[in-house]
Amino acid sequence: MGWFQVPWSDYTPALLEGLRRTVGYTVVSFAGAAVLGLVLALLRLSPMRVLRIPATVYTEVFKNVPLLAIIFLTYFGLASAGIRLGVFEAGCASLVIFYAAYLSETFRAAISGVHGGQQEAAEALGLGRVSTFAYVIFPQALRLALPGTNTMLVDLLKSTSLLVTISAAELMTQGRLITSATFRALEVYVVIAAVYFALCYPLSQSLLWLERRIRSGVPLSPRRRRRLKIATELLAEKGAPV
Amino acid sequence: MTGTAHSTGDRAAGQPAALPARAEVVVRIEKLSKSFDGRLVLDDVHLEVGRSRIVSIIGQSGGGKTTLLRCVNLLERPDHGLLTVAGEPIFSGDRVVCRDLARLRQTVGMVFQRFNLFPHLTAVENVSLAQLRAGVPERQALERSVQLLRRVGLAHRGTAYPEQMSGGEQQRVAIARALALKPAVLLFDEPTSSLDPESTGEVLHVMRELADDGMTMILVTHELPFARDVSDWVVFVDGGRIVEEGKPADVLVRPSELRTRAFLTSYAADH
Repeated sequence: MGWFQVPWSDYTPALLEGLRRTVGYTVVSFAGAAVLGLVLALLRLSPMRVLRIPATVYTEVFKNVPLLAIIFLTYFGLASAGIRLGVFEAGCASLVIFYAAYLSETFRAAISGVHGGQQEAAEALGLGRVSTFAYVIFPQALRLALPGTNTMLVDLLKSTSLLVTISAAELMTQGRLITSATFRALEVYVVIAAVYFALCYPLSQSLLWLERRIRSGVPLSPRRRRRLKIATELLAEKGAPV
Repeated sequence: MTGTAHSTGDRAAGQPAALPARAEVVVRIEKLSKSFDGRLVLDDVHLEVGRSRIVSIIGQSGGGKTTLLRCVNLLERPDHGLLTVAGEPIFSGDRVVCRDLARLRQTVGMVFQRFNLFPHLTAVENVSLAQLRAGVPERQALERSVQLLRRVGLAHRGTAYPEQMSGGEQQRVAIARALALKPAVLLFDEPTSSLDPESTGEVLHVMRELADDGMTMILVTHELPFARDVSDWVVFVDGGRIVEEGKPADVLVRPSELRTRAFLTSYAADH
């Protein structure tokens, strides 16, 4: 009698659907958490108390509440108050709320970590507030924030498994359903764990590769590549006197 | 005299001495004061800098030199006084009257003590960034940036990142960057203080060429021999006030004020 007794070919569509849902939760939630985290970080760095204090309260509250409690509050708690969110909306909202608090800390530290002289130099060149942030502060902060942000992305992907508690149809939920049908818990969850590993390991390695590329100064955007190509051609030309 | 600085000490009724009509004043500072946490760091300062003139501000650390320089492009906001740049009032009384601060700062280039290059951009990108943001077409901005890098002798380092360059190279890129928007005046805040002697020589060479080309410059410097060689006017600042000013040969060789003499004696002992 072999170790694998679950008829996996029968469950392949369910697993693929779970995979699709897991990736969907991860992409939508991470994008939302990154945007909200950046906004919170900027609010926390604001000199205005009226902006700083609510952002600080938000961060401290949701950093110190378990994700599972947030999932239950969002899905069951709000429903009891008359606000009924779908499973996908509730799942994404929970992940966004929770990870935005952590990402805001990472972003805040990264923005604060950019040397004050950079802001001054940008101001002295006549760059406005938006340009200073977009072209000087943010690119440098991004480099500082990348390691922490990448860790959060992988962590968020793994945390989608907690959505099994609201039957979110992601990988873990599919595993639970297959277990109920086959009573082969060990085999099923070993396979589910392997699928998570197969998702997370390449993702974290890709992010490390991206981090190294950015650190080494390799231009990533086509516009910047084109600009540097033009500059290189001009630099190679014989110079006319200025 | 054109391109001169005037303190309260050498004019009547606390007013700056008038420049001859032919002198176009690029920077005019009148009765400027500034304090930090109740401590007065600039006190009733007057200064006029004419086009193509070079004014060196000297003095001990903490005397107010850098604050004075930073007031010119409003990186420090004065408490009180009058400030005009290229004929346009930018600060009057106790408020900023400049409508377009970004444009003012494009008129006033600044070179910092610690270079402050953008580390995520190559040398040529550092020089072109402000031009691109000011709406200069990409190719034109890059051509000018390359020309400026050639001017400071760094065309071969155009695609290098700041961390790949020596201090002297970084400061020369910073000078090219400050020149990118064709400023009316260039401010130097102790541009060689963080450099070794060889790099200092490279930077001073570039600054000397700029002086020869007629660039209007205000320097805060500890390089007194350089100040003596290139400046039209030297201002000695101490305790937030202009203690003495005049031609380099007067202030640096035959100072009339005790405090200036003490500073120069101390400088000579250290060098």
